[in-house]
Amino acid sequence: MCTWRRLPALLLLVCVPAARAQAQALPEGPVSMARGTVTVGGEAAVTFGSRDETAFFNYTDYEHNALRMLRLSLSAMWQPMSRLAVLTELRSEDAQRVIPYALYVRVRPWTGRAIDLQAGRIPPVFGAFARRSYGADTPLIGYPLLYQYLTSLRPDAIPATADNLLAMRARGWRVSYPVGAPTEAPGVPLVSAYRWDTGVQARAAAGPVEMSLAITSGTLANPRVDDDNRGRQVSARAAWKPLVGLVIGASAARGEFLTAALADGVGGSGSYPQRALGVDAEYSRGYWIVRGELIESRWTLPAISAPLIDAPLAARAGFVETRYRITPRFFAAARADRLGFSTIRGARLFAGQPTPWDAPVTRIEAGGGVYLQRNLTARAVVQRNWRDAGRVRTRTYVSAQLAYWF
Amino acid sequence: MRVLLPVLLASLLFPAALRTEHSPLLAAGAIRGRIDVRAVPRAPQARPDPGGLGMGGNRDPVDRRRSVVYLETVPRAAFEASPARRVQMHQRNERFEPHVLAVMTGSWVDFPNDDATYHNVFSLSKGQEFNLGRYAAGKTQAVRFERPGIVRVFCEIHSHMSAFILVFAHRYFAVTDDEGRYRIDGVPPGAYTLAVWNETVHGDPPRRTVTIGEAGGEVDGDFTIR
Repeated sequence: MCTWRRLPALLLLVCVPAARAQAQALPEGPVSMARGTVTVGGEAAVTFGSRDETAFFNYTDYEHNALRMLRLSLSAMWQPMSRLAVLTELRSEDAQRVIPYALYVRVRPWTGRAIDLQAGRIPPVFGAFARRSYGADTPLIGYPLLYQYLTSLRPDAIPATADNLLAMRARGWRVSYPVGAPTEAPGVPLVSAYRWDTGVQARAAAGPVEMSLAITSGTLANPRVDDDNRGRQVSARAAWKPLVGLVIGASAARGEFLTAALADGVGGSGSYPQRALGVDAEYSRGYWIVRGELIESRWTLPAISAPLIDAPLAARAGFVETRYRITPRFFAAARADRLGFSTIRGARLFAGQPTPWDAPVTRIEAGGGVYLQRNLTARAVVQRNWRDAGRVRTRTYVSAQLAYWF
Repeated sequence: MRVLLPVLLASLLFPAALRTEHSPLLAAGAIRGRIDVRAVPRAPQARPDPGGLGMGGNRDPVDRRRSVVYLETVPRAAFEASPARRVQMHQRNERFEPHVLAVMTGSWVDFPNDDATYHNVFSLSKGQEFNLGRYAAGKTQAVRFERPGIVRVFCEIHSHMSAFILVFAHRYFAVTDDEGRYRIDGVPPGAYTLAVWNETVHGDPPRRTVTIGEAGGEVDGDFTIR
C-alpha cells in the first residue's frame, strides 16, 4: 500500500514566490515599443542631505548640491536597423528644467568591423567616470572632485592679475573677475560630468584595444551645445583590456577654453586652451571593484597685468574608489579624492609667495547600501572634505539616497 | 492564498483526512501535452546606453514561450525519494541558457561563463539569495537550491540578462521543449491538478484536473496561454 497525501503546501511553495516575482511594483527593465525598435529606460535618485550654503563642496556647475538632489533621467534608443541608432537622455535636477544631456546618432558603417561613428551631443571619450550610469554603476552618492568640484576658472571671465585669481581661491561656486563677463557665476570643474559636449566621435575596437576620438565644440571643463570659442576640442582615449576584468585607459584632450568674445577682447590672436592628460583603470574580481583616475589639466590664460599669470594654470586630481559586495543585498564602498593646483605668485596676497592658484581639496567618502530589489537601492554615505582655504575649510556631510533604474 | 490557508492548516492538523490509499502494484501513467503560448511579449532588451561609445553586440532573443508544467498536488511518495541532480545554466552571448530551468530541491546548478567577459550571477529571490561574484570565461560557480520556489537570476554587469529557476520539492514537473511539448512520467493513478508556469502569465497559473486511471496510460494536458 502506498499512501497518498494531498499537499496544498506545494501551492504555497510555488505560488507565493510567483506572486512575489510578479508583484515587483516597478518595471524591472527598459520599456520596449515600436516592435522593439525603441527602448526607453530611466533613473530616479532622490538624495537627502543637509543644506550647504557656506562651504559648497558638492555644488555642481548647474548650482545644485550633489548630496541633496532629486535627479530624474529618461534615456531612449531608436534603432531602426542594426547599424543605425538614435540615442537621447533627458535629465532634470531638483525638478527644474529638463536638459537634453545626450542626443546623437550612432552609425556602424561596416557590419563586420567594430567601428562606430557618433554625432550630436555625445558622451565624452575622456576618462571613464562620466560615461557611467549614475544609478546602476556608481556605488557612492557624491561625485569625484575632478568631475564635480568647481574651480575658480571661468571661460567667460578672467583675472587681470595673479592677485585677482588668488583672491578667488575656494570660491568656485561664485567667481567674478575684472575682465570679461561682469556678473558672478560658478567656475568650472576639471571635467564636467554634468554636461556633455557636442560634436562627432569615432570608436574602433580590435581585440583587447579600443580607441576613441572626438571633435567637439566645448572643452572638458565647459562642454557646449553652441560653439562660443575659437576652435574645436580634440579628445581621445585608448583603452586596453589585458585580461578579463582589467581595463586601463589613457586620455588626452585639447580645446579652446576661453569664449571667442573674451579672447578677442583681450587682443591678439593667441590660443587659450585647456589641455588635459589622464589615465584610468578598473579592476574587478569576485566581490570587488576597484577604480581610479588621475588627470592633469592645464589652462592657458592671457597675461594682462602684473603680477602676470604667465604660465599655464595646472590642476592635478585623482581618486580611487572601491566597492565590495558583502552579501547579495549589502555592499560597502569608499572613495579617496585629491585635487591640487600649481602655484603662482601674487604681489599683495600671500606676501608674494608661491601659492596654489585655487585651494587644494581632499575628500573621503564612505558608505554602504542595500539592494531592495535588483534595480532599487538605498545608500548612505559619510563624506569628509578638507580645503586649504575659504571660510569653511572642513566639513562632514551625511547623505542618504534612494535610487531606482529601469 | 487566503482560500488555501484553511486547507493547509487542515492538512497539517488532520493529515489523514487528505490521504488517499493506493496499491503499489497499480501502474504509473504519464501526462503529456502542449503549451501553446499565443501572445509572447518581446523579451527584455538591454537598457539604452547613451554613455556608450558604440553598438552593443547582437544577441539572440530569449524564448519566453518556455513553460514549466507541474502537479500542484502530488503523491506523498514523491517526497521520500529525492534524486537531486546537477544541471547547468550557461552564460553565453550575454544570455542565460536555458532561460528557464526546473530542478528538485537539493539540486546543484552550475553557472559556467562561456563568454569572453565577466559575468556576475546573483539572485535576490526570497529564500534563495546568492551572489557568485565576478568570474571569467571558462570558470564556473555552483549553487545548491534547497527551498522550493521561483528564483529570479540576474547578471549584475549585464542588466538585460535574466533567467528563472523553478525549484520543486517533488519530481512531477517538466519544462516544455521548443515546440511547447512536455511529458511527465511515472505519475501514479489518481486525480491531480496540473498547472502551468510561464513568465508572461500574471496572476494565478492556468490549471486543469487530470486523472490517471488505475491501469496507467497517458493523459493529455494541453493548455493555451493568451
